[in-house]
Amino acid sequence: MFEQQFMNALAIGSVYALTAMGATLIYGIMGILDIANAGAYLVGAYLGWYIYHATGNIALAFIGSAIAVGALGVLLQKTIYSPILAKQNTLSIIPLVAAVGLFTMSSDVIRLICGPYSKSYNFKTSADSIQIGPIVLIPAWILIFALTALCLLVLWFLLNRTKLGLAWRSTANDSEIAKVCGVDTNKSMALSYILGYGFAAIAGIMVGILYNSITPALGEVPSYKMLAIIVLGGLGNPVGTVIAGLLIGFVEVFVSAYTNLPIPKDAIAFVVLIIMLLIKPEGLMGQKNKM
Amino acid sequence: MKKLLVTLLSVAMVLAMTACGSGSGSGDGGSSEDPIKIGFFAPVSAPAASADGTSALNSAKLAVELCNANGGINGRQVELVDFDDKLDTKEAANIAENLASDDSIAAVVSGSYSGPTKVAAPIFQDAGKLMVSAYAVHPDVVNAGDLIFSQSFPQKLQGAAAAYYATNELKAKKVAIISVDLDFGSAQVEGFKEELKKINSPIEIVYEQAIDISDNDMSSPVTAAAAAGADLIYSVNYYEQAAQVLREVGQKKLDIPVLGCEGADSFELLNIAGEYADGLYITTNMNRDDENEQTQEYIKNYVEKYDIQPDMVGASVYDAFQVVFAALEECGEDTAAMQKYIAGLENFNTVTGELIRYNDDGSAVKPVQIQLVTNGEYHYAGVIDDPEIIDPANY
Repeated sequence: MFEQQFMNALAIGSVYALTAMGATLIYGIMGILDIANAGAYLVGAYLGWYIYHATGNIALAFIGSAIAVGALGVLLQKTIYSPILAKQNTLSIIPLVAAVGLFTMSSDVIRLICGPYSKSYNFKTSADSIQIGPIVLIPAWILIFALTALCLLVLWFLLNRTKLGLAWRSTANDSEIAKVCGVDTNKSMALSYILGYGFAAIAGIMVGILYNSITPALGEVPSYKMLAIIVLGGLGNPVGTVIAGLLIGFVEVFVSAYTNLPIPKDAIAFVVLIIMLLIKPEGLMGQKNKM
Repeated sequence: MKKLLVTLLSVAMVLAMTACGSGSGSGDGGSSEDPIKIGFFAPVSAPAASADGTSALNSAKLAVELCNANGGINGRQVELVDFDDKLDTKEAANIAENLASDDSIAAVVSGSYSGPTKVAAPIFQDAGKLMVSAYAVHPDVVNAGDLIFSQSFPQKLQGAAAAYYATNELKAKKVAIISVDLDFGSAQVEGFKEELKKINSPIEIVYEQAIDISDNDMSSPVTAAAAAGADLIYSVNYYEQAAQVLREVGQKKLDIPVLGCEGADSFELLNIAGEYADGLYITTNMNRDDENEQTQEYIKNYVEKYDIQPDMVGASVYDAFQVVFAALEECGEDTAAMQKYIAGLENFNTVTGELIRYNDDGSAVKPVQIQLVTNGEYHYAGVIDDPEIIDPANY
């Protein structure tokens, strides 16, 4: 059973990591907790569903939805977040409140346009599951592992091997100094939203395939759980987010499998967060160790 | 002459206004031309509950539409006064205050969950307004007073019926319980365990896990249930989580049957679980294979109007309206008479089968249906009508 639970935990941890990655990238640059990223996750899942059911091509669903939702992110950044942050002495809670409003609106808009009932991807693979020794692998997990790895690879390459990434990292470290040095910080901010919202859309589709169900409430759990993950990971640190996502996935699965603690599973993420922050207040990977 | 005409017209207007006023203010709630108003609330816009809320509202509209198409009640049309409680108890309290203080509302039907309904029930009771709850399961709903009735059987009763069926029909020996961490789940699990003891069942509970309502990841509890050697999973969940249990069992090719509850009685479960839904047993209140004309008519009319299959939630709302319609037809808008009529109902025909009677606390006494999913559809698998099990007074 241990081996199987290990794989269960790896799958759910990967989903958490990718889900929280979008909000991490946005925090890294903008310094705001963008709850609306859970709305992007929801909108991405629905957009992917429509593309998949119109074309029958799951790759197109991932790519099309990620691009469209990424573009939506840039639109929101240009029209809402950047103007708010540009004002003198803006309280840090204001963009957060705006993000909460956008997220709430996204659930309602999806419900009104797409209806209240669930939609199923019905994504079929040739086998229901693959048995490797004592472990049973579900094809959707393999897709999740592969996509998570691919997304992180693309992210690493983009941030560490390109000029755009160098600009992103310098803006994340200190946007004022970066600007003085000639870095186009607006471009870095736009990149954050393209990647942040695009990643959220990919995560939304993956979860839709994994559970074969998307509903207007899809973004509710990520809207608060992603906060625990990005704070635990060290606010704005992509590597920390991956570790934190996996850690919370493992703790949730093993606590659920081997104990019958009378605390809700969703609360486990926050218990882990509190314990870790008491030991290491800056999170798993502090601000200085950004990717 | 002109002055006389003005005076005569003024007197005529005053008389006309007085006549209208006495009509709308009468104790029976309106003149024979006025529609009979029935209040209704359901969680239509809460993202987490809008599927059930929409099913509830659909059935409420269908019930009123068909009633009016058949001539209304004693020649008067029926008007639905519906509200969206947003699955919010404060909103439900406001709605209840509005409906309770409106003299033109003849009675109220709740198409909502236990949370909003148990907040609204005492408000209606205090205001002397009759309410029939369609599917809220918390005992505080009917405990609010004698004007509150429920179409749903108590959850402990449903758990007891599941224990009876698991022991005597499914012949299970080792049961794993995966249940939603709400009153809905815990009360059924309690009823299940108590009945096992009562009937000296050989069933041993080998694994038990309560899960969050928002948690879709069933990989860990299903793996643990299989490792514990379960020969039956008792899944006390709403359709979303119940579907995920079935997907885990099916995808991992675990040969473990699953017994669910009325929370899994929805076309949503069939869509999400797909082919893995086949073989699922559920305890519920609706028998889709019932030859009862009313049941088949309801299913036909619902599918025609909304192009989707009805579910347990919708059927229960429809039944609640039939009870209110019958009371209004028999008693007019006299709340005390309606209460007496409903409390004395016996063998009342509803789309969810025969309502034998209401218990003293106002909860329905009716058989528990067992449905089995075959070829992606719910079908009759059995019925539990043992009076010892289906009498809410025993729980």
